[in-house]
Amino acid sequence: MRALRRFFKRLTSWATRRQDEERLRSEIEEHLALQAAENVRAGLSHDEARRQALLKFGAVEAMKEGYRDERSLPFLETLVQDIRYALRHLRNAPAFTTTTILMLALGIGATTSIFTLVHAVLLKSLAVANPAELYRLGKESRCCYWGGYSQEKEFSLVSYDLYKHFRDNTKGFSELAAFSAGEPLFGVRRSGRGGTSQSYPGEFVSGNYFTMFGVRAYAGRALAAEDDQPGAPPVAVMSYRLWQEKYGAEPSVIGGVFNLNDKPFTVVGITPPSFFGDTLRDNPPDFFLPLNTEPFVLSDSDLFTIDLNWLNLIGRIRPGAGPASIEAEMRVELKQWLRSHWGDMSANERAKFPKQTLFLRPGGAGITAMREEYEHWLQILMMVSGFVLLIVCANLANLMLLRGLERRRQTSLSMALGAQAPRIVRQSLTESLLLAFLGGAAGLLIAFAGTRFILHFAFPKVGNMAGIPIQASPSLPVLLFALGVSLITGLAFGLAPAWIATRVDPIEALRGDNRSTARAGSLPRKTLVVFQAALSLVLLSASGLLTAALHRLETQDFGFNQSRRIVANIDPRLAGDRSNQLTVLYRRLHDSLSSLPGVSGVALCIYSPFGGNNWGSGILVDGHPAPRPNEDNFAFWDRVTPAYFDVIGNPILRGRAISEQDTATSPHVAVINEAFARKFFKNEDPIGKHFGQHGIRSRREYEIVGIAKDARYLDFMLDQPIAPAFFLPESQHDFLPAPKSKEANPGSHFLHDIVIATKPGVTLSNAQIRGAIASVDPNLPVISIRSLREQVAFQFRQQRLIAQLTSFFGVLSLVLSCIGLYGVTAYNAGRRTSEIGVRMALGADRGQVIALILQGAFALIIFGLLIGLPLSLAAGRFLGHQLYGLNPYHPAVTLIAVMALALSALAASLIPALRASWISPSEALRAE
Amino acid sequence: MLRVGNPIGDMKEKTDVLQGTLALMVLKTLDVLGSLHGYGIARRIEQISGDLLTVNQGTLYPVLLKLEQEGSIASEWGASENNRKARFYRLTRDGRKQLRAETRGWEQTAAIIGRFFAVKAEDLE
Repeated sequence: MRALRRFFKRLTSWATRRQDEERLRSEIEEHLALQAAENVRAGLSHDEARRQALLKFGAVEAMKEGYRDERSLPFLETLVQDIRYALRHLRNAPAFTTTTILMLALGIGATTSIFTLVHAVLLKSLAVANPAELYRLGKESRCCYWGGYSQEKEFSLVSYDLYKHFRDNTKGFSELAAFSAGEPLFGVRRSGRGGTSQSYPGEFVSGNYFTMFGVRAYAGRALAAEDDQPGAPPVAVMSYRLWQEKYGAEPSVIGGVFNLNDKPFTVVGITPPSFFGDTLRDNPPDFFLPLNTEPFVLSDSDLFTIDLNWLNLIGRIRPGAGPASIEAEMRVELKQWLRSHWGDMSANERAKFPKQTLFLRPGGAGITAMREEYEHWLQILMMVSGFVLLIVCANLANLMLLRGLERRRQTSLSMALGAQAPRIVRQSLTESLLLAFLGGAAGLLIAFAGTRFILHFAFPKVGNMAGIPIQASPSLPVLLFALGVSLITGLAFGLAPAWIATRVDPIEALRGDNRSTARAGSLPRKTLVVFQAALSLVLLSASGLLTAALHRLETQDFGFNQSRRIVANIDPRLAGDRSNQLTVLYRRLHDSLSSLPGVSGVALCIYSPFGGNNWGSGILVDGHPAPRPNEDNFAFWDRVTPAYFDVIGNPILRGRAISEQDTATSPHVAVINEAFARKFFKNEDPIGKHFGQHGIRSRREYEIVGIAKDARYLDFMLDQPIAPAFFLPESQHDFLPAPKSKEANPGSHFLHDIVIATKPGVTLSNAQIRGAIASVDPNLPVISIRSLREQVAFQFRQQRLIAQLTSFFGVLSLVLSCIGLYGVTAYNAGRRTSEIGVRMALGADRGQVIALILQGAFALIIFGLLIGLPLSLAAGRFLGHQLYGLNPYHPAVTLIAVMALALSALAASLIPALRASWISPSEALRAE
Repeated sequence: MLRVGNPIGDMKEKTDVLQGTLALMVLKTLDVLGSLHGYGIARRIEQISGDLLTVNQGTLYPVLLKLEQEGSIASEWGASENNRKARFYRLTRDGRKQLRAETRGWEQTAAIIGRFFAVKAEDLE
């Protein structure tokens, strides 16, 4: 207690030191006067009395020093002294200081910028109450609809019926909420106000969704259990961001009526600003609607389809409840529920029944689809930026060593005058740390700009959507990270040079020239150059591999024609329920767009290539044995209007395309791709064969009329061969086989993409396209318009961004390494001036001198290559999946990386070598 | 002769112990004499210890500062006997408590050491 009080006194007395000095001075003066007076009384002369008093008092300066040590914290004062000293040093070398801070800012900025993303995507919890109490169903996140009574590996999506079963029977949850896994768009128009409707993402959530998260409305109220009842008045909660950006935070929005897909909803509340829903994604929902409004607003409702799984579950566990016991409880409930639907299950599903299970996982971060998707990318970027930081450190260590050499005389003089080694190390370290913190501060600015740049290119804002809810401005963890990195960096590049600085012989100060130990510091410096060269090679090869992989992706044979194709994205649902008029709507859209000048063809489909969507199902071929329980009979499918294959430029290899002759009443047909033919008809001719997708009784559903060339549609599985796919005409509706006989997949008739082919040399403006669509139905929002080439490129934007970032870092590291090599070579060449003079005097010519210097430089580079090559191979393996099937042992890439390093090294070392060769021997010898 | 030297010298450990003793002497002096200035304290310590303890008087001031920072003593300006401005030190309540505790500790130590010195070789047989 007393020690603590004293510490604070000492801390504060540092501020009052001038006053304290004055007090001590007057106390001493008083003391001496009293003693002298006493001595005078004892009979001494005035002067002698004063002298005796001083003698008795002892050494005044030593005492003052002791007093100061007691008074305040000597450590703090030395620190301030060191910082002042370091600042003076840095001011005296502005070029050095600027370069150093710039390099540090780049290194720390790059690392911090990536860490900002790592923190947001991999580490952060949702902005909800006590995220640690939340648990979600499923080990990995799935999108968006899974049909049937069995799921591979785990049951992670559930139907509404199964959700209610879990909710009503699981005791361990205080609340268990469900929400849609898909990301439906809604056509939104404020009731009573004019204008066309705009599309915004929304989400269907159970009534206890906000209660479960412990999130209160920012304004108005959140949804409650009563809102999620059949027949309850339709209400919605709006996102803070839409309220701000679109409605200027108008209070009248709360309680206002909004038409969603032409159905009136009352907005009852606004979410808090920090809440973006249950999933970090680039289009967070702007509307939260109760699950029970789903049949009201969507004509192809999924709510009461018992075997359609489309809901995610997150629950808050009761205090004291164990997730493991809840998990066990839910597994039993799942089996009970499945057994109660035994009669509806197919033979295949019954066979898979024993394997059905589920898992609970911590749900504080919500549905972590982005984490799963980007974890490896972020690891790669973190490694790359870490390497850059290491190279920066190595370079700076080199610079500091050089500075130490220049300051050698000063240091040895200080030591000769009695400075102690720890104090010199501390001074030198203070300087490094100061630089590191200044660099870190500048790095934060770069990190902010860098993060914004990355977010802008990785998640471009589409239309009036919210964009990804990640803040580029540094949060507290990011600031702490930057501080920590600066500290470690400062130690990394400062410690060795500081220590080496003290390895001087004080006697050197007395010598004229410090030539005698010219090479003392050259081994650590050479090692650093070797290290930098090795790391640069790794970064160069990695960026080469990523670039090569991207090039391979972009230049592959896509199977369709990217040029002169425009894709307009719509959603007929958003204009309200007109499902019985869809074929007419498509016909009118086709005619309206075809009449635009320069348009050569128009067709619609559910999704065009790389549109980011897909439909798929299990196939049964007529005349083939039924697939065994674990046999893969999966194929993707699409629904298209006549002339689609022509418009998209996908050649029909055999048979015919889907055309006008396929109508609602004509026999149901399908066009398959080559992969489909290979997978299901190994040694047969598929034309004229039948297959179906709705169970064993539907196997004669479609007749195959044509085979299209393989075309890549999916934006995933890019490293795999093109998947089997089939195409169905929009005009034909599928029905489930008797006894159900209801329409199958009515939602597949809502076509989303309009593909427009133009004649060569024609440019079509977006306004023309929007106008043509609006002339058909002004209520139909156009979500986006872009060329097919842009649409394809858009899917590779993240790969491209990462390849570009890595290349940027690779080139940066190469430049830094060359600066390092240049520094070492130039320094060594300078040191060898007299040696070169002697050699030249003895008959060496210029070429030999150049060779001599280059030899030294290239020895370092070759060492670097020897270390870097195996590391590059390891890096290639680490990239793995991110190369999309490109072999990481890529000799061309390695060769280019090695050549780039060698040529840059040659350039960097040639300058000092040439300079050395121009020395005249007589001058060189005089320099002795 | 015991000599209390420069506190930042090489014999730091030893002077620390001695400084502790010096602090105790200061506290006791102030306890007995009430408010006193630095010179007065130094004189008093000299008088009582006689020639056995010669203190470099300057050494006293860092000790006074330390005690003041710990809150054992307090100081204020006043006038000395020859009417000059002087800093007067006095014991605080905390200081009195500390003095009592340290006196007890010191007496115990002295008693134990005394008993060791009283023991003769034959007593242990």
